[in-house]
Amino acid sequence: MAKLKVIAACGSGMGSSQIIKMKLEKVFKKLGLDAEIYHTNVGDAKSQANNYDVVFCSESLVSTFGKTTATVIGLKNLLSEQEMTTKVQEKIIDANK
Amino acid sequence: MFKEFVEKKRYSFHEGFDDWRDAIKAACAPLIADGTCEQLYVNEIIKKVEELGPYIVIAPNICIPHAQEGLGVHDTAICFMKTEKPVHFDPNDPEKDARLFFVLASVNNAVHMENLMAMSEACSNEDFVAKLLEVKTPEELATMDKVREEMGD
Repeated sequence: MAKLKVIAACGSGMGSSQIIKMKLEKVFKKLGLDAEIYHTNVGDAKSQANNYDVVFCSESLVSTFGKTTATVIGLKNLLSEQEMTTKVQEKIIDANK
Repeated sequence: MFKEFVEKKRYSFHEGFDDWRDAIKAACAPLIADGTCEQLYVNEIIKKVEELGPYIVIAPNICIPHAQEGLGVHDTAICFMKTEKPVHFDPNDPEKDARLFFVLASVNNAVHMENLMAMSEACSNEDFVAKLLEVKTPEELATMDKVREEMGD
């Protein structure tokens, strides 16, 4: 798989998006995925989503993305590496097989 | 981190709030009192949640009220609040209830990242979160760094 381009998004781009980025780096490393992760606020993420492969955000923000070519993945529990691992496996690894 | 909350008087304990807006105002009160941020920052946090939904509830029981860097903020800090009764952010979604609040304010990204990392590492352990939910006094709060350390991963 080529290097993944990933956005971690939240309301302001300085709280939850940075937590998502921190946790994702761990999860990607564990799963052996090569990725660059950019964290930002939803407005910016929305305008740039088409240039990225995947967007991660809190579940409550998923609907704000509407139509995009990127896979938008909503997270219920941002602190759960287990939830992240399952979703990365299902929506990125299995989906690209 | 928890010892620092107590030393810097950046904490509060409350019974509960009927309106999540009042909970956020109360959670931010110590930061207003010591000049870390202005009312403008609190209003901004509330405005963002009204606009985008309760995205600041990052895990069951855990909420991190925050808004854009610099907006009515004069220092980098983290401030703790605990409620006995859950604060409801979404009447239809109990998973968006919160009892532990960590208000984030930032003018210095490096320090802010350290705060964020310490907070998210501590709260990633569910047994620790359960213990934190039992804390009732500042004395107990101050011991929580040690409690977390002894628990390991």
